[in-house]
Amino acid sequence: MVTRVLAYLRGLAHRRRIAGEVDDELRFHIEQEVDAHVARGVPRGEARRLAMRDLGGLSHTRESVRDVRTIWLDLWWRDLRYAIRALRRTPAFTATALTVLTLSIGVSTAIFSVVDAVVLRALPFDESDRLVAVGERSISDSTPGARHMATPQNFFDWREQQDVFTGLAAVAYGGLTLRREGDELPVNLHAPMVTADFFSVLRVRPVLGRAFTAEDEAAGPAGVAVISYGVWQRRFGGSTDVIGTLLPVQRGSFEIVGVMPPGFSFGADEPADVWVPYIAGDDERVRGNTIGRNLHVVGRLREGVAVEQAQAGMDQITAGLAAETPAWFTDRVAHVEPLQQSLTRGVRTWMFMLLAAVSLVLLIACVNLANLMLVRGATRVRELGVRAALGASGWQLSRVLLLESLVLSVTGAALGAMVAWWGVEILTSAMPADTPRLSTIAIDFRVLAVTAVTGVVTGLAFGWAPVLRFSRPVVTGSLHQRAPTIGGRGAPPRLRGTLIVAEVALAVVLLVGSGLFLASFARVIEVDLGFDHRDVLTVRIRVLEIPDDRQRFSERNRGLLLNVLERVRSIPGVEVAALAGGALPLRGDLQTVNLAIPGRVLPRNTDIDFNVVSPDYFTAIRVPLLAGRFFTDADVRTSESVVILSEAAADRYFPGEDPVGKVIQVSGRRTVVGVAGNVRQDGPEGGWRTQAFVPFTQSAVSGATLLVRTAPAAGAGVLPAVRQAVWIEFPDTEIPIRVDEQALGEYLAALVAQRRFSMLLLALFGGLGLIIAAVGIYGVMSYRVTQRTQEIGVRMALGARPSSILSSVLRATVAHLAVGLTIGLSGAWVLAELVEGFLFEVRPHDPAILAGVVSILAVTGLAAAFLPARRAAGLDPLVALRTE
Amino acid sequence: MTRGDTPFSFPLLTERRCDTFHSETEEKTMSRPVDLVQGTLDLLLLKILALEPQHGWAISQRLKQVSGDVLQVSDGSLYPALHKLEQEGWIASEWRPSENNRRAKFYSLTRLGRRQLEKESAIWQRLSGAISLVVQLPEA
Repeated sequence: MVTRVLAYLRGLAHRRRIAGEVDDELRFHIEQEVDAHVARGVPRGEARRLAMRDLGGLSHTRESVRDVRTIWLDLWWRDLRYAIRALRRTPAFTATALTVLTLSIGVSTAIFSVVDAVVLRALPFDESDRLVAVGERSISDSTPGARHMATPQNFFDWREQQDVFTGLAAVAYGGLTLRREGDELPVNLHAPMVTADFFSVLRVRPVLGRAFTAEDEAAGPAGVAVISYGVWQRRFGGSTDVIGTLLPVQRGSFEIVGVMPPGFSFGADEPADVWVPYIAGDDERVRGNTIGRNLHVVGRLREGVAVEQAQAGMDQITAGLAAETPAWFTDRVAHVEPLQQSLTRGVRTWMFMLLAAVSLVLLIACVNLANLMLVRGATRVRELGVRAALGASGWQLSRVLLLESLVLSVTGAALGAMVAWWGVEILTSAMPADTPRLSTIAIDFRVLAVTAVTGVVTGLAFGWAPVLRFSRPVVTGSLHQRAPTIGGRGAPPRLRGTLIVAEVALAVVLLVGSGLFLASFARVIEVDLGFDHRDVLTVRIRVLEIPDDRQRFSERNRGLLLNVLERVRSIPGVEVAALAGGALPLRGDLQTVNLAIPGRVLPRNTDIDFNVVSPDYFTAIRVPLLAGRFFTDADVRTSESVVILSEAAADRYFPGEDPVGKVIQVSGRRTVVGVAGNVRQDGPEGGWRTQAFVPFTQSAVSGATLLVRTAPAAGAGVLPAVRQAVWIEFPDTEIPIRVDEQALGEYLAALVAQRRFSMLLLALFGGLGLIIAAVGIYGVMSYRVTQRTQEIGVRMALGARPSSILSSVLRATVAHLAVGLTIGLSGAWVLAELVEGFLFEVRPHDPAILAGVVSILAVTGLAAAFLPARRAAGLDPLVALRTE
Repeated sequence: MTRGDTPFSFPLLTERRCDTFHSETEEKTMSRPVDLVQGTLDLLLLKILALEPQHGWAISQRLKQVSGDVLQVSDGSLYPALHKLEQEGWIASEWRPSENNRRAKFYSLTRLGRRQLEKESAIWQRLSGAISLVVQLPEA
């Protein structure tokens, strides 16, 4: 069969050529024949005549050959035209089917293009399947979403000892601010710090200049930098003189040594603007130290080494290190996984879930169309019977029926691709900004190919139902069939019922999923964060820092920062202003220190969050005071060292006691002076953390964030004055003019963005599934009423009341609905447990959601059946009886 | 039109292209080997091509020669039949120089064609054997 189709398609493609070839072939035959006759002594003219006679006339033979060649094409072509004509005769059906197909295929295509770009497509590196991420993993902690990182000294040890990678490189994320130059405002740059072999491990070469060398890794603080193609174009106009230019940043300047090719970006995070060498500090080169940056480690597997072998090799090294430093390595292991998996971690499961949901929509659409096609086929039993009686084979009847489905689905796919084009734009603008490879999402050839395949498969999937049923009609029976007779003929009620049941069941599963995620999102945004994120501007200030003399610059920076604070306080519209060094709630950063309590034995490595704040910090974000006092301006460098604990820390370390007045060891001995309310530092889905706060005046300062609480909605008005106030002391600080890039509330929005996005999509899919299912039920019920018109007429003539007709029509639907709901609920029961990890404070079997879904579907299903049922009840018996 | 579906029961009268329903195609009567039992031409062509790849004229010569001129296949029927076999994927064609260096279309048997040949010859053997038995019945 396949060979035939191929030969046929070949023929189709070369139709014109074949015609020429036939001529050539026949001419050759005649020449041979003439030669043969001439050889036997026949005169050439006569020989030619004989040859032509034997061939039965050149043009006749040519025609005959062509008939053989084109007969297939003609049959298909005619069936195709027939199918299109038949579809055009029933515009309502065709429009419904096309709408369902366009929407479901369009949405699936859009989602697939997103999943493909974000998760499935190979990383844009040479032999990217040999790249792996290596990190540390705690044995006890198995958070699925976490990306595994490494401390610097572990990375150095690994790099030294490993023999499974051709190279092992590390990246630490960092930023730089380009200094103010003339009219140009300062600009923050994404500036990852990378080890020298980072580019060679990824096999990326600079388009200009050079990459890093081992010497760069060892050089002093003012070093070299490689810039991105984008920065090269924007800032340097693509000039080749850029090599050797100095990049003026706050801590001196970097000499540009290379330019990376366009589109080069590593990792899930925002595209880098500039890369600088990673130079480890002395305190980072201590084995077993917890201080230091988190490194992302990437390695390229040696030829013939599998991920498992690499893992085994790393395990061996870790075991060796563990023997040397037992305390540090007791619960830490090295973790090797494909780089792609590591980079798409966190979004992978979400993406597949969305894909599953949208497949469910597509499946419902298929079932629905199978149903409608069946109904449609049933109205054509007679026509098909005539065809069969005239000798059409089962295959020929199937072809007619299948072509109709295929015409529909392929048209639907084409329209769907257009919907997808538009859908992808909406999707990408609605997606969380930190989604990896967001910018690469597009409808491309690969996606369109999948759409085309989806179209054909969909067509075959819903086309089978009528084929199965009608391709072998009983000739005599269907010819005798006049009008649909009592009891109905055509599609067997069982198959039709099954399809309705399937549709309802699938819709239940989809809607339960939507419901669970809607409820989760609702709970997430209702969470009490412990502070008030509204109307707070945050301005991150990177301070000057010269490592040679930290002490002196720390003092100086503190003074400058306090000047800024004074100025900002006096701006009209500012209610409270405060400074926080380091971590800020919701921003995802965290600073921890070791905690000790004199006279108490705490577990090794007991860490506590460490925040450096000015006195008004708590009032600025409205954190309540639970005991003791907040900091005051009297807490200065020379006064008693003090600390405030969060409620969680107080409860954990001083259960049942009053912590105020106790002495603890956090960055020096400090007396606890107060207890502040708990804050969800990691956002709504995080827990309470144990936190310690120390005064801004009693700690080293290496940068700070200015927090400004404004009068409600006054942020935009206040921001320009705040910028000026900061720039007086720190002229080289980038402060975006847009309020939404500066507001604390924006961090919250970013944190819930993924959930919001998934929730919106699932709600959309749920709605779509519901509508499609309703259309299916409506279609089938209307058909049944049409089919039973005569029977209903008889009943009414015999005195049946409209209400009894109504209920008799509805009864069948109720039965199907009940079965579908039951099956769907059991399916949803099982599937909901699979997504439990993604839910937030919603149980997978939440009775309210299950009940809600059941009632929505029951009402929708009944409504869809009610319209045709009412039509049946309103029939005029005389008209109904005459119907044929 | 899938051949596999229909049992190959009576090759003497096989009318493969059973498009009875599509009557308009039947008006264009196709050239058929009138002097040959219908359906057996395929078998003969497949068999000849099984020996070696040949072009159309050589095949027609071969047919006449092997059958001792008993089987008369008009050249006009030969080419449609060849094209049909090619369409079925049983034989493949290729243009190359003939023995006297003219460009000729050479046909050769495909793997699928070999299988078809085996099938058809088996049926033929059985049938011709059966017919001989009947024909040779001693008359009383």
